[in-house]
Amino acid sequence: MHAFADALVGARRQVGQCSRCFHLSAEPLCEICRNEERRNGQLCVVADSRDLLALERTREYRGGYHVLGGLISPMDGIGPELLQIQPLVHRVDQEAMGEVILALPPSVEGDTTSLYLARLLRPFCLVSRIAYGLPVGSELEYADEVTLARALEGRRRME
Amino acid sequence: MIGANGEGKSNLLEAVELLGSLRSHRSGHDRDMVRHGQSRALVRGWCGDGQGHGLGAPGSSLDQLELELRRQGGRLARRNGKALDRQLDLVGPLRCVGFSALDLELVRGEPSQRRQWLDRVVLQLEPVYAELLARYGRLLRQRSQLLRRGVSQGEQQLQSLLDAFDQQMALIGTRLHRRRRRALVRLQPLAAAWQERLSGGRERLELRYQAGSRLEGEEAEAPWREALLEQLRRQRPQERRLGACQVGPHRDEVAMLLGEEPARRFGSAGQQRTLVLALKLAELELVQQLWGEPPLLLLDDVLAELDPRRQELLLEMVGTGHQCLVSATHLASFSATWQGGDSQVVRISRGELVDSPTNR
Repeated sequence: MHAFADALVGARRQVGQCSRCFHLSAEPLCEICRNEERRNGQLCVVADSRDLLALERTREYRGGYHVLGGLISPMDGIGPELLQIQPLVHRVDQEAMGEVILALPPSVEGDTTSLYLARLLRPFCLVSRIAYGLPVGSELEYADEVTLARALEGRRRME
Repeated sequence: MIGANGEGKSNLLEAVELLGSLRSHRSGHDRDMVRHGQSRALVRGWCGDGQGHGLGAPGSSLDQLELELRRQGGRLARRNGKALDRQLDLVGPLRCVGFSALDLELVRGEPSQRRQWLDRVVLQLEPVYAELLARYGRLLRQRSQLLRRGVSQGEQQLQSLLDAFDQQMALIGTRLHRRRRRALVRLQPLAAAWQERLSGGRERLELRYQAGSRLEGEEAEAPWREALLEQLRRQRPQERRLGACQVGPHRDEVAMLLGEEPARRFGSAGQQRTLVLALKLAELELVQQLWGEPPLLLLDDVLAELDPRRQELLLEMVGTGHQCLVSATHLASFSATWQGGDSQVVRISRGELVDSPTNR
């Protein structure tokens, strides 16, 4: 019980935010930001650290991250100034990014934030957005209409 | 179902409507459907195709549908005891079209009444429409909050955020406009035919879609979206003065004209009643065309408002294929034909069936 309590107190004391990407970190810079190989000119923008961890589990992406700490939502009183948007613009400007990938949820708030960021970042680099669509291994006929409609919208030319 | 006012007839019909369409014509809020002092409400019903086949449960001739409502919001849908991922999956086995005394508001009331009616029809045509409607509603609310609260970093930030909303509202708004217009195009000939029949050939009904945005030319997604985007941008100064967005599907209106005159202002009470009936019958016909099966009809205290001739016409349309749940305060308000055949009369008192069904 004591060990558990100590762990909680320790976590509370030690875990803070990475000063560059705002991911959870015990050090001033997180593990990903310390890794030079991951400074490859790609930056993936997510709403929170949980989304970052989900993307990391894919082991497919080898670039850096930027955690916004939420989404723009006037109803909840969250404007751009409450999110890590200024530091993002600063990073994109300073670190000579080739591409920023927006990986925000497909909700009204996620899309609003994506559109707002795309406009801000476009002068500096290529801005792209992850695709929304069918889960792999699923049958088309069982997909719900909303997902199917989104997948149709995000269709791609066959090369 | 016979019973005095306030005994629970409408309540029962509303419960059936909820199971069949997930909506109540009486209220848009679940908290209004939960009994005072309780936190939850449960609607449970059994349905089958009438030929001894359930639509999913093995070994049973009936499907059990359940919808649980909570006062603070959030719903749970179950079919045959199994929780469904989405409440929308509950819809299907039971389709219904409701008629109620409130429907005169459809002609007399605010434009929002007519938009809701049209939306109900579009929802039957395309279930994905529910998602579009919800999304558009959320966009509107977020946008008005943005204007009310303002931003901390000045005019340019506000305009950029409005741009982000405009872009989404133009996209979703165009889709709502197109779907509503298409549904009205399908309803118009059916409604006009019913109006003509119900009025003995005297009245010509026209339904006209008046979009809340200026959409010129033929229906086409890209030009309409561009037009809406431009109008959203141009109305901003006015929007800020009035505190509400001035263009878009939330300003749509369905004009109902009887021989070129607006029914809302010039129709007599009788004409308006006929018109509501014609609209409802058109909705019924369209749903039936679409699903190939007659929907369940819910007639809440409306037969008494119709003269015997209109009652007969309604019965003719209903024919023998539709199952009908009808409520009234007195048996005498039904014409003789409604009471014949395989009809069943039950009495309702304090929310319960008081005597066993009587076959007639």
